[in-house]
Amino acid sequence: MRSKVYILGGYQTDFARNWSREGKGIQAMINEVMDGAFTVTEIEPKDIQAIHVGNFAGELYTMQAHLGSFPLNYDPVMRGLPTSRHEAACASGSIAALMARAEIEAGIYNLIMVLGVELMKSVDAKTGGNFLGTAAWYEKECRGIEFPFPKLFDRLYDVYDELYGLKYEHLAQISAINYENAKRNSKSQTRNWYMNKKHACSTGDYNLTIGKRLRATDCSQVTDGAAVIFLASQSNAQNYAKKHGLQIENIPYIQGWGHATAPIHFDDKAEEAKENEYILPHTRRAITDAYKRAGLNGPDEISCIETHDCFTITEYAAIEHFGLTKPGEAWKAIENGIIDFNGKCPINPSGGLIGVGHPVGTTGTRQLLDAYLQVSDKAGDYQVPGVRRAATLNIGGSATTNVVHIIGSDS
Amino acid sequence: MTSIRKAAILGANGTMGSLSGGIFAQAGITCLFFERTFEESKNGIENAVKQARSEVLREYIIPKTYDDLEKDLPDCDWIFEAIAENLSLKQEYFQKVDRFRKQGSIVSTTSSSLSIEDMAGECGEDFKAHFLGVHFFNPPGKLLANELIFHQKNSEKFKTFIEEFCEKVLRRVNIVACDRSGFAGNRIGFQLLNEAALYAEKYGVENIDYLLGPYTGRALPPLATIDLVGLDVHKAIINNIFEHVKDERHDSFKLPGYVQKMVDNKMLGRKSKTYGGFYRYTENKEKLVIDPSSFEFKKMENPKNDSIEKIKLYIHDGYYRKAFDLIKNEHSNEFTMIKHFILGYISYSFFRIGQVTPSEVGIHGIDRVMSYGFSWLPPSAWVDFFGGPGETVKLMERSDIPVPEHLKILPEGKLCRIPEVTKYLIAN
Repeated sequence: MRSKVYILGGYQTDFARNWSREGKGIQAMINEVMDGAFTVTEIEPKDIQAIHVGNFAGELYTMQAHLGSFPLNYDPVMRGLPTSRHEAACASGSIAALMARAEIEAGIYNLIMVLGVELMKSVDAKTGGNFLGTAAWYEKECRGIEFPFPKLFDRLYDVYDELYGLKYEHLAQISAINYENAKRNSKSQTRNWYMNKKHACSTGDYNLTIGKRLRATDCSQVTDGAAVIFLASQSNAQNYAKKHGLQIENIPYIQGWGHATAPIHFDDKAEEAKENEYILPHTRRAITDAYKRAGLNGPDEISCIETHDCFTITEYAAIEHFGLTKPGEAWKAIENGIIDFNGKCPINPSGGLIGVGHPVGTTGTRQLLDAYLQVSDKAGDYQVPGVRRAATLNIGGSATTNVVHIIGSDS
Repeated sequence: MTSIRKAAILGANGTMGSLSGGIFAQAGITCLFFERTFEESKNGIENAVKQARSEVLREYIIPKTYDDLEKDLPDCDWIFEAIAENLSLKQEYFQKVDRFRKQGSIVSTTSSSLSIEDMAGECGEDFKAHFLGVHFFNPPGKLLANELIFHQKNSEKFKTFIEEFCEKVLRRVNIVACDRSGFAGNRIGFQLLNEAALYAEKYGVENIDYLLGPYTGRALPPLATIDLVGLDVHKAIINNIFEHVKDERHDSFKLPGYVQKMVDNKMLGRKSKTYGGFYRYTENKEKLVIDPSSFEFKKMENPKNDSIEKIKLYIHDGYYRKAFDLIKNEHSNEFTMIKHFILGYISYSFFRIGQVTPSEVGIHGIDRVMSYGFSWLPPSAWVDFFGGPGETVKLMERSDIPVPEHLKILPEGKLCRIPEVTKYLIAN
């Protein structure tokens, strides 16, 4: 029988920080996030058996690759550990966690550190926007296009509009909810920004239309940030619980996961959308696989979701792909308050990528950390009351790599 | 008062009036921006809109002139005064406010130097009971610190309401400060800034800013900070503190003669592009620095010190402990001076507990104002990085810095409660 894979906690940096303005490099960010994670969990560096790093484009933003090796600089006691770096665009952090989980399930290691890291404010917005284009099929979809990603997701907007019709005010509401949630999160990038639905509905210099229809308020942020979680085998988690006076039943573990990759070219996705019940069939598959592995029939037993809202339209899609509504009816969950912070299934109580920020390779790890915090009742001001089970959806590229996790405890 | 629905901003064209008023509007409160003319009031609205980066803010702000005070003040729940720093002018306005305001409405002043009790002197009892100092930092959109200056006529219920409202609705970081010149932030911050200006006369402007640069836990070097604040504003704050406060570092609040001459010659800092301040930029954007002895601007020499450059590299890579150990253990003349300032800042801050902030909050109030108001590494974070109170006391004794009792009595262990203070250590 496979070991359950537990999350023993972790840490995220303050996503409002601009590390380039502080004159700091990627090693400083890694040192700080590890310091925070070891401090809050009281896990010692010497007990870590392997490290998986999620990072999208260190080579481009910082001229630094080989990021798997950098955590070892934190403490000489870690030298010699097996480490690796994983890249799957915005899903890099989740892929690192999938690999760590597989190693624990296989009985290879008992305690693994998963670290997501991205430093993005090292370049100007246009250059960074171009780098992000490498998450799509750059040669065919992004070369020579300014800010290619909002334009790609504008095409998802088109697909929805064509098949079901779409009102912009529903997207504006998604944006407003994420910003509002982020105000409760002391680590979010936008916690002190001015924002509301009226502003999201406005256009002009302070809310530029970036794509054809998507506006600045529909976009996630350019963010510097890192996050760490510790994954542990059942035996390691039991020892940890004993040492810290905890009940193993209260420690969150990975109940289910799904991982499905779609064709990278958006043209192919658009074709598939017309032939399937769900516009993003591979995203749907990652979700249903995770439900199946967790023994769930659907979203009824999920207390809250941390989803990928790189753009408001992505969250709009996630609502129905999670099964909160029928396909084409995501607007109903927005109008009837299901996804609100106090709704039946709050989406992104942390603020999501739009509110918390989106350090690309970190996001998947940050989502898992937030799911852990919600399930263990440690999310502080953004705690959703009574969370028993939380789901995450992390998407790489234009809904190309899809990773879902379901985190719960036995309490 | 149970809720704030409408606020009046007096002096809404000034930087602090418009931007502070904007913070109220951002919270969804209808704001009346009062000025001498509609044009000035509308200028204030533009500032507030720019700060919020949203045209939507206009819906919450209505331009007014002082002729409308009688008609509009009775509807306002909070009257936020930000007019010029002049006691008789403020008293004149407060007497008008007292005539027109409704009972129970809050009246606040942004004054950073005048006595709260003096300003309310001629006003009625209800006015006094609801009057206080509310001191935002500039720009309030980025700096969240908010000094609250209560006085003996304020009830506990009133104080609690104000603190909760400022924290939860206006999203401020409150620091309760005593009614003393410079309150907490300016008193401590400008002590260091002015002492740096005094040292610059002997050691040079560029050298002082290099030695006490951002790696010592501040967003900007000290003299560049004075340029940003404005030399005239610096002078007003320093002179006020020098006149009204006598403490162990009274000497350091004396305005240097050369700074007075710079002010006389309109060299006010960044706001005076033609005359400059400590620094000036040429048309080709070349940065020049002033020589305090000749008043001539000269080319930057870009001094370098091996240990400082090493400290910056440690900070760049996040090895903060190594950076602090180097500061502690370097004994060159340069580092003797650097430690004089750093340890002096810690010492001066701990001596002020109970004088500028209430004793019961310990160093935490001062920590909050220095980080959220000045973007400086708070004094208790320095103590932590130096290895705790005992180690810091030893360093002070070795450097002939007066040791505050408040520091001596502290137990060992982590002191600073501000999260991620490392962000104030800048490697540039």
